[in-house]
Amino acid sequence: MTQAKPRAKKLPLKERYALLTRDLDWEPSYVEREKLFPYTSYEGIKIHDWDGWQDPFRLTVDAYYKYQAEKDKRLYAVLDGFAQSQGHLGLADASYLNAIKLFIQGVTPLEYAAHRHFAYLARYLEGPAPRFAALCQSIDELRHCQTQIHTISNYNKYYGGFHSWSKMHDRVWYLSVPKSLFDDAMSAGPFEFLISISFSFEYLLTNLLFVPFMSGASFNGDMPTMSFGFSAQSDESRHMTLGLEAIKFLLEQDEGNVPIIQAWIDKWFWRAYRMSALVAAMMDYMLPKPVMSWKEAFELYFEDQMLGGLFPDLEYYGIRPPRHVEDAIAEKDHLSHQVYKILHNFSFAAAFTTQTPGVEHSAWLSEQYPGTFDELYKPVWDKHARTEAAGGRIFFQGLPQLCQVCQIPMVFTEPDDPTSTSFRTSSFRSETFHTCSDGCKWIFDREPEKFVQAWLPVHQIYQGNCGGPSVPEVLDWYGIQEGDNGEYKGSPDQRSWAEWHSGAPKQGS
Amino acid sequence: MQYELRYQVIEAKRQSYQNVIDRFGDQPATRYQEATLDVEPRENFHYRPTWAQDRELYDPRYSALRLTDPYTYADPRGFFYTPYVTNRAGLHDEFGKTLSYLEDRELLGTLPEAWRSVLGSVVIPLRHYESGCQLVSVTGARFAHGTSLAQCCTFAAFDRIGNAQMLSRVGIAVAGGVGDVLTTAKQEWLDGAHLQPLRRLVEEIMVVDDWAEGLLAIDHVDSLLFPAMYSGLDEKALLGGAGAYSLVAQYLTTWFADQRRWLDALVAAWRGDPEHGPSNTEHLDRIAATWRPRAEEAVGALSAVVADRLDGVAA
Amino acid sequence: MTSTLRQVGIDIQDAEENRPLVDAIRADNPELTIRHLPGLLKLQAAGRIVINRETVEAQLGREWDTGEFQLAIVSYAGNFSEWDDDQIIVSWEH
Repeated sequence: MTQAKPRAKKLPLKERYALLTRDLDWEPSYVEREKLFPYTSYEGIKIHDWDGWQDPFRLTVDAYYKYQAEKDKRLYAVLDGFAQSQGHLGLADASYLNAIKLFIQGVTPLEYAAHRHFAYLARYLEGPAPRFAALCQSIDELRHCQTQIHTISNYNKYYGGFHSWSKMHDRVWYLSVPKSLFDDAMSAGPFEFLISISFSFEYLLTNLLFVPFMSGASFNGDMPTMSFGFSAQSDESRHMTLGLEAIKFLLEQDEGNVPIIQAWIDKWFWRAYRMSALVAAMMDYMLPKPVMSWKEAFELYFEDQMLGGLFPDLEYYGIRPPRHVEDAIAEKDHLSHQVYKILHNFSFAAAFTTQTPGVEHSAWLSEQYPGTFDELYKPVWDKHARTEAAGGRIFFQGLPQLCQVCQIPMVFTEPDDPTSTSFRTSSFRSETFHTCSDGCKWIFDREPEKFVQAWLPVHQIYQGNCGGPSVPEVLDWYGIQEGDNGEYKGSPDQRSWAEWHSGAPKQGS
Repeated sequence: MQYELRYQVIEAKRQSYQNVIDRFGDQPATRYQEATLDVEPRENFHYRPTWAQDRELYDPRYSALRLTDPYTYADPRGFFYTPYVTNRAGLHDEFGKTLSYLEDRELLGTLPEAWRSVLGSVVIPLRHYESGCQLVSVTGARFAHGTSLAQCCTFAAFDRIGNAQMLSRVGIAVAGGVGDVLTTAKQEWLDGAHLQPLRRLVEEIMVVDDWAEGLLAIDHVDSLLFPAMYSGLDEKALLGGAGAYSLVAQYLTTWFADQRRWLDALVAAWRGDPEHGPSNTEHLDRIAATWRPRAEEAVGALSAVVADRLDGVAA
Repeated sequence: MTSTLRQVGIDIQDAEENRPLVDAIRADNPELTIRHLPGLLKLQAAGRIVINRETVEAQLGREWDTGEFQLAIVSYAGNFSEWDDDQIIVSWEH
């Protein structure tokens, strides 16, 4: 009889994972704990037991490497195939790429910012379990940033507007909207960052921010971006989990945390919602084959899934839905139209092109927005269309006033009156500051000493910090090149597109 | 049979992103270049950090060591995210296979007593040292100036947890599949006299303000510790009937050789920087003078115990 | 703590290698609905969705670590109230 080989006892997953992560930590005795973790008390958050942190995604380092390497192998194979087969020729239309220009200029830098600042959490949070989760997220975000750069690299070779995305994020007016949002989160304390990004961005609003881009890619023949989207999404599940765990953990640790968290939810819902106005404009106006309207996306991903799904869960802790959410709901029939009007008026100074919606597209907008489009927005587009038919093109000759907080031009209207511009003022140190809404004003008034620091692009142009007093000098300083900006029709992108598709098929003609 | 494929020729308008063209001309760029050059924001930050009011969000002043242009430094390994995880997936896959092999044959559980003792009270406790190194490295991941540097620190930080998990898995294997050896190893880390110089040292390094100084201080320790505990014990292990130890230690040796590549190149860049070279050199020398003696003391205490336990066996 | 009957959901990549996984989930969750979107399968059920390692292994014909679920998942609505060696559960908690 052969002797049975004694099998090594298998540790349960949870216990093994704990030994490989949180058990590595120890209580320091040669340095003071406060010196090692100096930033975890100044926000007023109280943690009594860091061990209460749960990790549902128990990913050890070796598993991380294995799964991520596999995902990247698949993704880069798609990217290589697309490039080799000149896949960009199969896009719905070159005008679609304006959405992707907005993406690399506006979103890719935020991935990088998240990468850098989750490293801050990986250092300064006191619990080893959330530190490790933050470290994984940090490196995930580097993955997203770099795979986006590589995904879009192929488009950069043939189309305008992609070439200087990083410099533009630092300098160009509409990009201060996302840049200031992440700067706001990074300059805050570690717990506010956790709630603002992990919770508000990565859980509450993630679908509203990313599904439009990824679905837009799928509908418009952009296989690389669509593949990137799927590939990144399984990372996002871990990020969503971190966000949800973060908020529940903080709420459960001490009752005193509840009002602090509530205020952050109130601030960051509105801050991120305002930024998503750019996404609204993109999905309603920049996609040759639209996926769904902003209104529909907002109803599904926010009103149904979040207000209807998540917030009843959080009620248990004494959390209520975000302040000013009613204003967001009231705006859903207006937001995309108001913002795209601005982009359309100012795209001579942007690194993408815009165009007046054509007949079919207007019909779709009319159908999606029965209450507002025909009455309020179509007349303006009709005016543009008449001007363009006569050979002109209207651009706004001047600079817009920006909201001190969200930094979007003051284009929004009162929630109950779409014919009246929403305009708020606040006073601080004998100066007057302007905001676009009750939401932004509330944010300003809570932290005026922070928001007065903002580098407002329009103020900076007037102060002479943007290359010079003339439009060409500013555009040069922005890094905008011929063909990047202005009207889509007749642009180098459109002309190239027409040229590359000019051979009609011989068979069947 | 070869054939020539005809395809529609579309002329590229540019070969890469503008910042890469500005540096190297309009020619095809590597993925490393596109993913690394000029990615970190440079200017026009909106708000001062509430946790460091005298700094910007990205700021060269987080360290005394400076480069005129951080992008004159390039990681010799060419690591951006994908090649990094691919490389490490290979390393950990091989480690896992080796460990399974040793576990199936109980080769770690049946090591000679002296080696079990060395593992249990000297080597496995180093999983906590690695954890401390991760805290130090990740500071650079946030505060280094320039994507080229920060990226290397990010990978180094993740590597340290990888090392800690390798050591932990060895510890579990030595105990026959349970956590007992890890429990005693942790107690040694906290109380064992021979480990206190190292623990004290790593705790003090963890609170150093300058992320680069912290990283270099750790490197002074690594440069003594890794040869002493891993590659340096190879021959003894193989001759002493503890080949299993050599088989697992090789992965840490491999890692250390990889770490040298980027860090040595960075130190060279600091020393040779056109503007900051002299000042950097002063700081580098100061850092060595401060931390190297401590490293020697700490590693020396461990080597003494190892020699003591093993020397009775080498016959 | 009463369980609620709000819909929980898991979005899974619509790839050939995930077919056995989806079949296993369907087998263990009789009330499950599946919607097909380009590249995506949206799984939904009231209250909770359970994934049992044993069922997945039976469908796959090989050993399966619950950790492998990470490769298949795209998104989810709910909480991971359990994830161990044998089982994954998605549900709302309150």
